[in-house]
Amino acid sequence: MHEVGIMESAMALVQRHADEQRATCVHRVVLKVGALSGVEPDSLRFAFEVVTRGTRAERAELVIDLVPALIFCGACRTEFPGDRGAIFTCPHCGDLCGEIRSGRELELSRIEMS
Amino acid sequence: MCVDCGCGKSIPFGVKVLSVLAPGLLRGKPATGAGAPDQGVQTVTPAPHSPLTVEVHASLLAKNDGAAARNRARFVERRMLALNLVSSPGAGKTTLLSRTVDEFGREHRCAVVVGDLETDNDARRLHRPHVPVAQITTGSACHLDADMVARGVEALDLDGVRVMFIENVGNLVCPASFDLGEAVRVVLLSATEGEDKPLKYPPIFKSAHVVLLTKVDVAGLLGFDCQLAIENIRRVAPQATLIPLSARSGEGLSVWYDYLRQRLLPT
Ligand SMILES: Nc1nc2c(ncn2[C@@H]2O[C@H](COP(=O)(O)OP(=O)(O)OP(=O)(O)O)[C@@H](O)[C@H]2O)c(=O)[nH]1
Ligand SMILES: [Mg+2]
Ligand SMILES: [Zn+2]
Repeated sequence: MHEVGIMESAMALVQRHADEQRATCVHRVVLKVGALSGVEPDSLRFAFEVVTRGTRAERAELVIDLVPALIFCGACRTEFPGDRGAIFTCPHCGDLCGEIRSGRELELSRIEMS
Repeated sequence: MCVDCGCGKSIPFGVKVLSVLAPGLLRGKPATGAGAPDQGVQTVTPAPHSPLTVEVHASLLAKNDGAAARNRARFVERRMLALNLVSSPGAGKTTLLSRTVDEFGREHRCAVVVGDLETDNDARRLHRPHVPVAQITTGSACHLDADMVARGVEALDLDGVRVMFIENVGNLVCPASFDLGEAVRVVLLSATEGEDKPLKYPPIFKSAHVVLLTKVDVAGLLGFDCQLAIENIRRVAPQATLIPLSARSGEGLSVWYDYLRQRLLPT
């Protein structure tokens, strides 16, 4: 499980921005997490609780924006959602060699504080 | 798959070096944690009362990506081919590397950095007088990250080393997100696993430069359908060089060594 490490990176950024803004309280932290990022939202939530304990983000809400997997089929030149199991079969031609267009995201999108 | 740690601490890891040329022990150096407890709650200036929104849009892997870029530059500067070997637990990474350093390693000097959750068994198995080996115990982390690799590499005597093998922790999910600075990502699928593994873990296979189908010596015995596995790999990872091999019988190893020779960096 590397969610704790990921969350530590996120909180380091949050603290830096909170310092810059001289904020005393962080209300909300918004993350963008791709379906193929290899990170579990539930583990992230748990890590968030642990990592924020005793900080000015202790009472902050964690919002996780899930980004679905989007696959691009080079043969058909179309995009399709990669959500049927983990098998990225193109619904048009049955091809499997599509490129992952989105779904690997792992970012800190937004911080709300005061 | 991943080991649940839940300790809330930055993940400690140790680097242990097994090498005749660089004997020494560097155990238990803690990773520099990013999320140190916040001390600055009472700021000097009173905060504004209106809520403030900051759009950040920063990658959470940026720290690792930065370290990976530094590793990559360092490998290139040293004219060293770096390979990151990834597979499920037990797919045969250590066995293949042992034989590779014995055979190919006689021709071109190799070094190994090996990551494991706890023990240093793999480093012991790989240790040879002519092969510097660093073991990284990741504690509870399910993958190597670029910082750990940098420390492992630093601990080794790299004189004359042309090939740096990095054996990742057995896991097909997490290592996909962590660039180590390697030039070549090698994903192993063994004949003791399902033929449909590539369909179940597409991100890691899609990120592979090479896919090794290992333990083909036992495929027949186990009723493993090599053709089907090869077809699945080709469908999911058409970009990858595919080499079926057995570190036991030696089948396919010359193809693997040829591949390594081709990828060596000119000095
Ligand atoms: N039949 C056969 N067995 C093999 C081959 N390669 C490895 N094995 C066996 O598979 C088991 C696991 O091999 P390892 O080399 O330890 O696998 P690994 O990927 O390094 O394992 P972890 O580091 O624990 O993830 C051992 O019992 C090996 O003897 C092979 O080519 N053929
Ligand atoms: Mg091993
Ligand atoms: Zn298609």
